Amino acid sequence: MKKKWMRWLTALLVLLSFLGFSGINHVQAADDSLQKVKDKGVLVMGTSPDYPPYEFLVNDGGKNTTVGIDISIAKQIAKDMGVKLQIKSMDFDLLLVGLQTGKVDMVISAMTPTSERKQSVDFSELYYTAEQSIIVNKADAKLYKDKDSFVGKKIGVQTGSLQADLAKEQMSSSPQLGLAKYTDLVLALKSHKVEGIVAEEPVALAYVQHDPDLALINGKFTLDPSENGQAIGFAKGATSLVAAANKSIDKIKKKGLIKQYMTEAADKMTTNTTDTSMIHYWKYFAKGIGYTLLITAISVVIGVILGTLLALMRLGKNKLLHALAVAYIEFVRGTPLMIQVMFVYFGLGIFLDIPALLAGIIAVALNSGAYVAEIIRSGIESIPVGQTEAARSLGLSQKQTMQSVVFPQALKNIWPALGNEFISLIKESSIVSIIGVTDLIYQLKVVQTATYKGVQPIIVAMVIYFVLTFGLSKILGYFEKRMKHDEATH
Amino acid sequence: MTKPLIEIDHLVKKFGDNTVLNDISETINQGDVIVVIGASGGGKSTFLRSLNLLNKPTSGKIAFEGTDITGLSEKELDQVREKMGMVFQQFNLFPNMTVLENIKLAPMKVKNATDAEATAQALALLKQVGLEDKAEAYPASLSGGQMQRVAIARALAMSPDVMLFDEPTSALDPEMVGEVLKVMQDLAKSGMTMIVVTHEMGFAHEVADQVWFMDQGVIAEKGTPEQIFSAPKEERTKDFLSKVLAQ
Repeated sequence: MKKKWMRWLTALLVLLSFLGFSGINHVQAADDSLQKVKDKGVLVMGTSPDYPPYEFLVNDGGKNTTVGIDISIAKQIAKDMGVKLQIKSMDFDLLLVGLQTGKVDMVISAMTPTSERKQSVDFSELYYTAEQSIIVNKADAKLYKDKDSFVGKKIGVQTGSLQADLAKEQMSSSPQLGLAKYTDLVLALKSHKVEGIVAEEPVALAYVQHDPDLALINGKFTLDPSENGQAIGFAKGATSLVAAANKSIDKIKKKGLIKQYMTEAADKMTTNTTDTSMIHYWKYFAKGIGYTLLITAISVVIGVILGTLLALMRLGKNKLLHALAVAYIEFVRGTPLMIQVMFVYFGLGIFLDIPALLAGIIAVALNSGAYVAEIIRSGIESIPVGQTEAARSLGLSQKQTMQSVVFPQALKNIWPALGNEFISLIKESSIVSIIGVTDLIYQLKVVQTATYKGVQPIIVAMVIYFVLTFGLSKILGYFEKRMKHDEATH
Repeated sequence: MTKPLIEIDHLVKKFGDNTVLNDISETINQGDVIVVIGASGGGKSTFLRSLNLLNKPTSGKIAFEGTDITGLSEKELDQVREKMGMVFQQFNLFPNMTVLENIKLAPMKVKNATDAEATAQALALLKQVGLEDKAEAYPASLSGGQMQRVAIARALAMSPDVMLFDEPTSALDPEMVGEVLKVMQDLAKSGMTMIVVTHEMGFAHEVADQVWFMDQGVIAEKGTPEQIFSAPKEERTKDFLSKVLAQ
């Protein structure tokens, strides 16, 4: 769990409880977590599917399917409980928040039960223990022997991971570069931004096997047996769920199923990488474009309606409405969209089970409304007061004056600024990928993970974003010209 | 007996500490053409804009056709304003609409006239102001004089009982002043009640029934054009007229 976010979210939760909301604390005297899962018939797992062979996505007949060792384990647990398994994807950093806010029942994402994490969630027993390795460029493989060879060299780690802690403690003379995704770390390695990446052996192996330019060395880290390995995370106090999971883990260990899961995962990785051309993955990108456009389009509509309302409230005579509008606009503009997305999904998610896509749309639309409100306000204020006076002196009501005289002219004046806002929305909506909405950025990461290619998907996504924004810009320009037409009839 | 159209009773208007209209009580009768003259800052425009309550009086009453309008709600005021046409110095045509649309807007929105009715009326009014060929033009393509004539036609489209003119020729190039004054003169001849704030002394002399000289927030002197221009009684009236006529 990335500490920065933890602090933010803790603050948020504290704030919510101050405001008098209850229900944040899921700990109950008699634990009924298992019964609850059985009652709803679905076990919801959270994972960050960018970590082969533990969890990654494959193209299964044109559909994104999450597979891997962890998924196989989760399926076994669900089967033993007699319920169906549902997988929710989100950034690794957000998984524990998902647990605490009840978005997911358990987290299986190759997570190591560090003492820090144990303070906020409960863990099952370890289901797998792996060695820690270091990925290096093959050309440099001879330069490095183990973790101690990296003195003064920059080392890459996944932010918030066990490896980051290990490197910090045992490679203290190597500066760290922390990134959220292994695909990005590999890119950093290849461009010599870092000289090595600390990774768990199966993960390191997966990358090295699919990239002839990479090599693997044993890190020879000193490992605490209680903390080294992967376990399943549960909400604090969910003892009956933990017990049920432990039973399944025991069974899996006894039957030696992990080995089998690993082989299956390796097979899937091979099929994934038989054709790594971007064309082969066009469906991924197409789906991403679809979601990006969907989120943007709905947000634009809601944003304009909300923005108009807020602008009128702000310009109106009612002091309370004015204050509300100002407070809303200032607050929304004064906080990052990323936090707003997390607030809607996790914060409001405590009371309402909002699906990630809907949460993303709500957050982006509410955010856009604040910006559109200011644009519309400036547009209305740009219309000379004489226009209003002329309309009112003719007997038009305030509403008619706004509708027929002021607003149409204001719209023309603010069109370029509004267009700018819409174009920003296409790009800024990408932030919803952190809660697992399969927009273009999310799909980009999926393709990166699936193909072990870092740069090409970035270029493809970049071109797609440009085509989208440039296309929109052209369409907006066409309407701008049409509105100007009334002045050109000299 | 002439019928009072607008009765002004102890009208006071203050902007902050600045008293712009200082206790004005006057009556305007139906069919009157009143020209208000005076130096800038004397309160002429504020006085005119108080009559249809574009400026809300600080105290005092204004009765229009026998009804006190100072206490009316915005909705009731809309109905009063229909009957009080106003023409502005800056024309204030709606730039996003054609000439025809400018004129048709209020009849269709406020009086629920059909498009055909409003169009027929608008074309007739455009003919009256000599601009029937500009119906489809946008304001930006018109000269100042043409725009002001459209603005007059637009105000007339609501069939008002009184027309308020707020320095209608002040923003015009000199060669265009005549065409606008001509339209106003015709309107006066047709019997329209008019209150005109202007610096056009020739127009005042020729068309006005009464000339009001405003200074420091009060009607300092009033009378027929002959009385005001030939034999002003007040010192400040003489002072003003000598400055204006010397130009």
